[in-house]
Amino acid sequence: MTNSSARDFIKAIESGSKHLVIKRFTLRYPEEKLKFVGDGYQFDPKKGVGIAGYRGRHILFHDKCTGCQLCAIACEGIAEAIGMVKVNEQWKHNKKAIMPQIDFGKCVFCGLCVDACPFYALYMTDDYELSAFTKEHLIYTPAQLAVKPKYDGDVTIKIDRRGADHG
Amino acid sequence: MASAPQDFRFGNFVGSIVWLVFWILIIVTLIGLPLIFITLFYVPLPPVNGEVLTPYLFFSMMVDPSRTLPIIKFLIHTDIFRVAVFPGFSYAALIAAATIFIERKFLAKMQLRIGPLYAGKIEGILQLIADGLKLISKEIIIPSGADKPIFWATPIAFVATAAAVVALIPVAPGWVVANVNVGLIATFAFLGFFPLFALLFSWASNSKYPFIGGLRALHQMIAFEIPFILSALPVVILSGSLNLSDIGSAQHPFWFIFFLPISAFVFFISSLAELERIPFDLPEAESEIVAGWLTETSGMIYGLLQLGTYVKLYALAALFVILFLGGWTGPQIFPMELTPGYTGVKIYNAVTVNAAFWFTIKTLGVIMLMLLPRGINPRIRIDILLHTGWYKLIVLSFINIFIALGLVYGGILGPGGLLPG
Amino acid sequence: MTDFEQKVDETMKMGLQIVKETEEDRLMTLSVGPQHPGSGHFRFTVKVDGDYIVYCDPDPGYVHRGEEKMSEYRNFIQNIPHLERPVIHDSNNITYSYSLAVEELVNIEVPRRGQYIRALASELNRQVYTLYWLAIYGIFLGHSTMFMWPTGDRELFIDLLEALTGARVTHAFNIPGGVRNDIPEGFKDRCLRQIAYFEKRLVEYEDIFYNNPLFRQRTEGVGTLSKEDAIRLGVTGSVVRASGVPFDVRKVEPYDIYNEIDFKVQYMKSGDSFARSMVPFFDMRESCHIMRQLLDKMPPTGEVRTKLQPNPKGPAGESYKRVESGRGALGYYIISDGSPKPYRVKISVGSFRNMLALPFLLIGSKLGDMPSIYWSLNYWPVEADR
Repeated sequence: MTNSSARDFIKAIESGSKHLVIKRFTLRYPEEKLKFVGDGYQFDPKKGVGIAGYRGRHILFHDKCTGCQLCAIACEGIAEAIGMVKVNEQWKHNKKAIMPQIDFGKCVFCGLCVDACPFYALYMTDDYELSAFTKEHLIYTPAQLAVKPKYDGDVTIKIDRRGADHG
Repeated sequence: MASAPQDFRFGNFVGSIVWLVFWILIIVTLIGLPLIFITLFYVPLPPVNGEVLTPYLFFSMMVDPSRTLPIIKFLIHTDIFRVAVFPGFSYAALIAAATIFIERKFLAKMQLRIGPLYAGKIEGILQLIADGLKLISKEIIIPSGADKPIFWATPIAFVATAAAVVALIPVAPGWVVANVNVGLIATFAFLGFFPLFALLFSWASNSKYPFIGGLRALHQMIAFEIPFILSALPVVILSGSLNLSDIGSAQHPFWFIFFLPISAFVFFISSLAELERIPFDLPEAESEIVAGWLTETSGMIYGLLQLGTYVKLYALAALFVILFLGGWTGPQIFPMELTPGYTGVKIYNAVTVNAAFWFTIKTLGVIMLMLLPRGINPRIRIDILLHTGWYKLIVLSFINIFIALGLVYGGILGPGGLLPG
Repeated sequence: MTDFEQKVDETMKMGLQIVKETEEDRLMTLSVGPQHPGSGHFRFTVKVDGDYIVYCDPDPGYVHRGEEKMSEYRNFIQNIPHLERPVIHDSNNITYSYSLAVEELVNIEVPRRGQYIRALASELNRQVYTLYWLAIYGIFLGHSTMFMWPTGDRELFIDLLEALTGARVTHAFNIPGGVRNDIPEGFKDRCLRQIAYFEKRLVEYEDIFYNNPLFRQRTEGVGTLSKEDAIRLGVTGSVVRASGVPFDVRKVEPYDIYNEIDFKVQYMKSGDSFARSMVPFFDMRESCHIMRQLLDKMPPTGEVRTKLQPNPKGPAGESYKRVESGRGALGYYIISDGSPKPYRVKISVGSFRNMLALPFLLIGSKLGDMPSIYWSLNYWPVEADR
């Protein structure tokens, strides 16, 4: 073995051993959760551009939805996850009394339904923990979609002299 | 999860506890107690204080703790204790199990992640027990057309041979399972069996990937046996004996690694190759030949092979410690008497405990050093491996043989030399 | 006989010889198939004579999902979520090319700030893909540390992309007309800090992997692809740059704002596996410089998206646009017949063309070199099958 390869070996060992004092990078999931900037993905139909945020579960504002079905039509070509159902509420702006119900077993969380809504009624939130025991439980009715989730993640990537970690 | 969890009913809970107690009582009375009595009747027990030790005397002595000390002292010095517990199988298996766990955590720290985490309350301590239970409960699948007797017998023979190497290793003065006068050569003889097991198992698996893996294992282990033996020769020259206990105790002013650094290096690399550890793990190269000669193992056969591999790791690390790092020698840090002024039966022997302590520390240090290349190097290719084993390492070990011969004939070491010991 | 007929004759004779030797049990057929830790979603059959490979037959198609046919049933905007799935962890590049082609068909222009954000997302995705490729290259060679470190450092970029686009991997960020949302607050500082940390990590990779003598022994001189052969076979991306041809679509046909960015095309001359594994490493370094320039030169305010009608459609016509993705030149050829749904979408990917080099390089090499040659060709099976 030539001199340079012996030196390269020693540099490799040095590099490996240096990592024994660098902080671990793992995010310990159920105890630590990531923090997201902003309030979830939203879309402004007047300006025609979205507002950056995490694309999690949808939230439906019942006092703005008019039952125009544009979200269902947008999703028909993508995942066919939105269907319109009749609701038992009377609103002045929603004479047909229909609202979207979303099947999260099919939804791909692309957010194009939010882009399609012209009435500021459908946004997305930070909630991504949507597991259920049966497939029927994954279909969220409009009443379930109106609930604002509580998510309190507070961990971000921090970089300092001893390495980066989630802390 | 396909179904909702069942509700808790107190009646079912009490019923299951009663059932458990019932079965424990049946097993203890019908099987456990007769076994104890049979052992106590037929195993020869020593006379204590002039009386023959009958089972009833035995049980009555258990009541008074000070009278059980002679029994314990007798039991510690029997052969079965040495084979099964102290320098023998339980000690080796415990160190092997600790090595597996430490390896996973150590590599994880080097790779900036956490290793096993969820088994056991403190950072995954019970992970090995979980792995063992998992392996026991899996089905053992034997490929069609495989040679069944060899398929079943080889893993057991593998573990047995690894345990045979452990039997030759002295942990403290006088504490060795088999004190043979040609201990070093016996070790090499046992290590020569392992390529045979790899080849037999891969042939018996009747499948292509094990076939390639077995041939690679054969080439690799045979190529590295010669530098392995040649690098242990200078130690024999300097210490004048083949008995491992004598080699260990012959190093008391200076360890042999100071005179034979090149030999220690060659021995270390050859033992990494014998153990099939990265960078030499071609016989199990995962991305080329699936799992090499271990491809068709499943369930407890895989568990036995892993146990054998890690017991062999302990054995070779202990051999390195005895040959080059002074065995059990070290400053006496344990007090000669635990409670001064005690005149009863003594079980504590300070020299033995000190020797065992230093031996364990040194072995664990060498094991950590053997775990380090796994995090740093990729796998080597077979032609580079054979080139290294047959050319470079043999040349290096010859250099050190000449150095050792020079030291002995120059009068510096050995009997009548400048340095004592 | 003409030259061509002579070559056909020789190939036939070689093939018959191989069949005869297989039947005599001299050659062994190994199926490095989908159920193999060294192959991915792809199968190739090799015939081995001792330790040397004499025949190789790639067998793609295990992940074919009909992306091109599915595109004909959805309109231009609904195509984005499914068209990004072939290379899901490099999704911003595969939708970039599509958006460019559709914008040419529908005849709209993307505002400047939108172009800068698109390029930024594309560079971030290039880092994510290259780190994933590097991780799997490490584990194919048995280096488990080189699997964990790039996968961990990839988190830095996935974190940035999640702040920018809203999802960690399935971005759906580029659409015809621009990008879907503007940069959030605090993004620029975070980005600069994480890029600076990543450049320090690249030095560690060099120490432990690229300068490691064992790695060099395994990859130097292995699977050499000369410059003429590379051009003749039509390989692209980091493979052709490692053989001495400085071809990078961002320099040859600059799209969007790449003609305003100053960067050098990284290439090496030796053409062996080592060069093919070093070129993406240099590309990552260059990408960090590009990202810094993009963040500097971005116009501070402006639109990011051109407003489109809900079902955009344009006159009948065709367009072809290509983009430099992590694997090479990725092109879309779209024919439209005046309706909101495209008539035909053809995706031309770099992986499928790099696959042609696989039998060419494997025949004659050792079995131990198979992982390092196969994965250094930068082949992503899902993209090749579309």
